[in-house]
Amino acid sequence: MSVSFWAGVALRFLWRSWRATAVLAVMVAGAVASLTLLSALAVGVGDAMVRNSVGLYAGHLVGEPLPAGLDLAALHVPGVSAVLARGSAVGVLSRGERDGPVSLVVVDPEAEAAATALPRKAVAGRYLRAGEPAVFLSRPLAEALAARPGDTVSFAAPGRVDTTPLKVVGVYESGVDRLDRGVSFVPRGALPVSTPLQSVAVFLRAGVEPEAVRETYAGTLPEVAGRFRTWAELMPGLQELIELNYLSMGVVTALVFAVVALGVAGAFVIFIVQRLREHGVMKAMGVSAGETVLMLTLQVGLMSIAAAAAGTVIGVALVIALGHGGIDLGAFTAHNPYFAVSAVVYPRLTAFSAGLPPLLAVGFPLLAALGPARYVARRPAAEILRTL
Amino acid sequence: MIALEDVAKTYRSQRGVTVALAGVSLRVGQGQAVALVGRSGSGKTTLLHCVAGIERPDHGRVICLGLDLAALAPSALQRLLRERVGIVFQRGGLLSYLTVAENVAFPLSLNGMARRQRERRVLELLDRVGLAQAGRALPDELSGGETQRVALARAIAHRPQLLLADEPTASLDSASGGRLVGLMLELGREHGCTVLVATHDPDVVRLTEESIELRDGQVVARP
Repeated sequence: MSVSFWAGVALRFLWRSWRATAVLAVMVAGAVASLTLLSALAVGVGDAMVRNSVGLYAGHLVGEPLPAGLDLAALHVPGVSAVLARGSAVGVLSRGERDGPVSLVVVDPEAEAAATALPRKAVAGRYLRAGEPAVFLSRPLAEALAARPGDTVSFAAPGRVDTTPLKVVGVYESGVDRLDRGVSFVPRGALPVSTPLQSVAVFLRAGVEPEAVRETYAGTLPEVAGRFRTWAELMPGLQELIELNYLSMGVVTALVFAVVALGVAGAFVIFIVQRLREHGVMKAMGVSAGETVLMLTLQVGLMSIAAAAAGTVIGVALVIALGHGGIDLGAFTAHNPYFAVSAVVYPRLTAFSAGLPPLLAVGFPLLAALGPARYVARRPAAEILRTL
Repeated sequence: MIALEDVAKTYRSQRGVTVALAGVSLRVGQGQAVALVGRSGSGKTTLLHCVAGIERPDHGRVICLGLDLAALAPSALQRLLRERVGIVFQRGGLLSYLTVAENVAFPLSLNGMARRQRERRVLELLDRVGLAQAGRALPDELSGGETQRVALARAIAHRPQLLLADEPTASLDSASGGRLVGLMLELGREHGCTVLVATHDPDVVRLTEESIELRDGQVVARP
């Protein structure tokens, strides 16, 4: 059985039935292009949620608790864009008759402003400057203290009678409850109490996997590598949401191609019924059942492959075109903490987004074509020729 | 040699039971040209299909080119059809999406003939049937007579030892039909081919060496 011969016969069939071939190919290519773009958007949405969640404040890797003498320069391995050291102090903030519990995070303002988006989430005033005795309050705490930028609040550490005056320079609202409900920020050196290194947030360059950096740390800093956790470990809910998003997209893709496959199979059933006598003639000329199945599946397969390739090219072009400026979903994500920094989604091609649609576009119609092909293959030549 | 011994074939459908062949026995020698004559429904097509091996009789034995068809494995039967049998079908049976030349080349490709040799053979045959200029035409561009001539060229392209023709002149006027059958018998003779033609056309019968008349699935006359 020569596959090249039957491929030639199948191609001639497709070429000389060009109207029907074109209609089917447009259907398959359209589905592939649309689903490539939608899958890339799903990946882009996942990326945006991660980018927002880690870029706001947390970082891709968080190490805690860490020893006081840790050399932070050792954490700057390839792929790392910033390492932010943070201390903390808990206590009470008061202003006049009002007070409230607070967790103050001691930061290096310039480094934080360069690497995180939280400084840009100020709803009043500005972010911190290095060395100033100031505080960047969360909005709920500012409201509880009735404090505005320019006011002075007092910080009291547990077990101490003295207080530290801090000038409110800004009020922020991140949209993330975990931050807004109890965390405020002060520059390093603003508090008289000791604020040892509490945690390190590591920010990575685009495309660098947190697990890979942690493995590097395991080689260079074995004593602390186990204290670093990735964003996925710290935010399992986000990880699950992204996986659910991919799963939904995969199911949608499979369902669309199941419908497309039924359409293709239906069209080929019509082709086969229209040309049933010709199949009977071929069988009477000595064409085997296997060759009949091969020829029919090649017809479906070659059409699907060509259409899936065209659809992939169109889909990839759309992803590239939309990937430059991104798509702003701000109108739909105003209250979503996973889009707290930016609602712009950049569609991205991965093995999932670029590979799944064409794979299913070829696989499903091939499977669907097997039924009609087997039907023809099993019918005896004389029966076909007698009944037509 | 072709031999049928007490061959019977019955079809069952919703309309009831149809006896297509009822104990047919006959012999056709190598190189003979024989017409199977009879009205529509007399069993001519079923007999041709049984001889070709594409129809399995309910009873009896069919020997085709010295082979007992009942004893042949499917692969051996396919080989027989590909290599040693040629069939001219009713209304031609050309493959609609292949050109005239590709249709004629089809059995040669099935038999694995090299491209250059195949092309030469196709040109020869198309020239022989008077369609040398029609190689690139599609079947739906041909007249009925041209279609049957292409079907004849395809049927003899691989130089079969047995040529079966099922009502080859049914859609032709008598002059065209006569020319086609004359050409068929001439080509058959050239290749030493046994020819069996099912027909109800008396002009075809006159051109063949012998005729066998079928009526209600039985041989009624063998002049």
